[in-house]
Amino acid sequence: METNAMLAIGAALAVGLPALATAWAQGRIGPAAAATLAEKPELSTTAIILIAIPETMVILGFVVAVMILLRSGGAGG
Amino acid sequence: MIVTMKRVRLAGPTARVDEVLSFVQGLGVLHVVRPEVPESAPVEVRAPRHCRRMLADVDAALALLGSAAPVRSPALSPPGELPRAARLARRVRRQAAKLAKARAALEDERVTLLRYREFFTAFEALIGHELAWPDGKAFYVVMRAGAVSAVEELRRALTKAVGDELELLDRPLASGEIAVLILVSNAGAPKVARLLSDSRVQELPAPAGLGETNLLRAMPALKARLAAIPGAIAERDEERRRLADAHGPELHHLHGWLNDQLLLLEARARVHTGRYLFVLEGWLPEPRKASFVDAAAKTLGPEIVVEFVGDETWRASDAPVALINPAFFRPFEIVTRMLPLPRYGSIDPTPFLAIFFPAFFGLMMGDVGYGLVLAGLSVLLRFKSKPGTTLRSVSFIGTACSTFAIIFGVLFGELFGSLGHFVGMRPLWFNREEAIVPFLVLSVAIGVVHITLGLVLAVVTSWRRGHRREALGRGVAAMMVVLTVLSLLAAFQLLPSALFTPLVIAVLVAFPILIALEGIVAVIELLSTFGHILSYARIMALGTAAVMLAVVANQMVGAMGSVVVGVLFALLFHLVNFAIGVFSPTIHALRLHSVEFLGKFFSPGGTAYRPFTHWKQQPHES
Repeated sequence: METNAMLAIGAALAVGLPALATAWAQGRIGPAAAATLAEKPELSTTAIILIAIPETMVILGFVVAVMILLRSGGAGG
Repeated sequence: MIVTMKRVRLAGPTARVDEVLSFVQGLGVLHVVRPEVPESAPVEVRAPRHCRRMLADVDAALALLGSAAPVRSPALSPPGELPRAARLARRVRRQAAKLAKARAALEDERVTLLRYREFFTAFEALIGHELAWPDGKAFYVVMRAGAVSAVEELRRALTKAVGDELELLDRPLASGEIAVLILVSNAGAPKVARLLSDSRVQELPAPAGLGETNLLRAMPALKARLAAIPGAIAERDEERRRLADAHGPELHHLHGWLNDQLLLLEARARVHTGRYLFVLEGWLPEPRKASFVDAAAKTLGPEIVVEFVGDETWRASDAPVALINPAFFRPFEIVTRMLPLPRYGSIDPTPFLAIFFPAFFGLMMGDVGYGLVLAGLSVLLRFKSKPGTTLRSVSFIGTACSTFAIIFGVLFGELFGSLGHFVGMRPLWFNREEAIVPFLVLSVAIGVVHITLGLVLAVVTSWRRGHRREALGRGVAAMMVVLTVLSLLAAFQLLPSALFTPLVIAVLVAFPILIALEGIVAVIELLSTFGHILSYARIMALGTAAVMLAVVANQMVGAMGSVVVGVLFALLFHLVNFAIGVFSPTIHALRLHSVEFLGKFFSPGGTAYRPFTHWKQQPHES
């Protein structure tokens, strides 16, 4: 039971910390992208892709969290 | 794919240069460039400058008149007398500007008078009151919103200064400000004026142009003026409409002709013209080569020489880029156009986008219900859009994406999440709710295939550009990715375990070859390639998140106590999930292509193919 609780906390941290990092990165990229678009609207695709890039962190964090939960038997597999 | 280009050269007597340019403009297939010659006649700058000045007059006049462009492009025939047309454009621009200025002044005056009217409406009943001091004076003050204490303070200060010879009245205005009317005897007026000035309270001055300095007496004139302004504005509008009716068509014709003329002058500046001969060069799509030569021979005769410059004499980077794709792939060119244009001689990513983009989208959405909603919206957009527009392409891409979403929805047994289970739908492949690891393996496997394809395309691109060493390096990298994946499969006994050792040995042999071909940077590139493959895990992450959200939406029906409230919440949640389900897969499928896949082989930096042709009215998108 205790091990499962630790695994659950681990899973939460695995997805939570990258989520914070992603939010921080997107918070920095977003205003810069908005400022760029004001001057060069043709860069909208590049701006959207740049904003999407930090999401890799939280996505991989999610994958790791799922792996941890599978180990604890907390998710189907 | 990128259209093969041919460089064509036309030469003939200088006297016929304008005729040849008209012929080329009529055909509309030649991308005119300046020939590489050591000396050239000075470029004519006066005519383009004159045209641009006239066009500025015409555009400004049309904008001021608010004259809508005709549905069909106007005829591009020259106007009767050019000096007269130029004078007309200038005159109409001046008249339209004068009308617009007069109208704006009337609007400003109306806004100001409305403010005065508001003030005096508050005190209208007291107009006769002024007569209590026949020699008295009135002060009009507007205090800021909520300044009730300031009004009381003002009253106390004024009473202290002039005693009983003063009356102060205040009324709230609709804007929240406070209108203050101060009536004072003639003897006390200077003291009040000084006090107001010292306390920096702004008086409302009498509106100019009413011929009356006393605002209370100005009230009837103010009302009359307010009533007259809409009529005066309507008069200016009518005058503008008459001007637009009288000169709009001619100005639109002039607009079209001047734009066409500018294109001609731009092309003329690129022609090398000597005393006796001219040389015109340009790029022609190979499929148009024969028809161009035939038309030139028929129309221009043997005096004009048409020859093709040998492919070995020009650099691929000089050739312009035109994309041509089968009808099924063509709508996806709008995605390619969001990226920089590929270089001539490299690979057009459109066909790959057309296959993988909807497939990735479908895998992430993977729901029959959401797919059908998206298909319905795409069909609606198709009927609302005109052929050849961006919206028509978007509707086609939407249809392709929704088709894949429906196919994968059937395979995963999903209809608005788990709702399909109640109507007998069962997963034909796997259940995304539970089979998280198989879904992850599938996503990464797709990444392996996609990235390996990208590396193979990089081999082709490098080989075509003559960078043989680079091509070999990319080939070895692709081989290492495949060998690593196979050895992992053997390690997990998905392939015979006897293969594990030979595969690992092959990887170890390939590694120094890769470094020898591409240097130490190849190690970093190889690691980033594996990182890119893992990045495809987002397909599983977004797909799982989508199905979980849909399941939560369905669970709301039973969790809210009332079925009706539950159904409403579930519908709202499904709507939000649908919006996220369309937006996120689009962004991430786009990202997987532009960062992971195209990063392997895409060479941006091409020049767009812009054939010299007649000016056309830009169609309005709908």
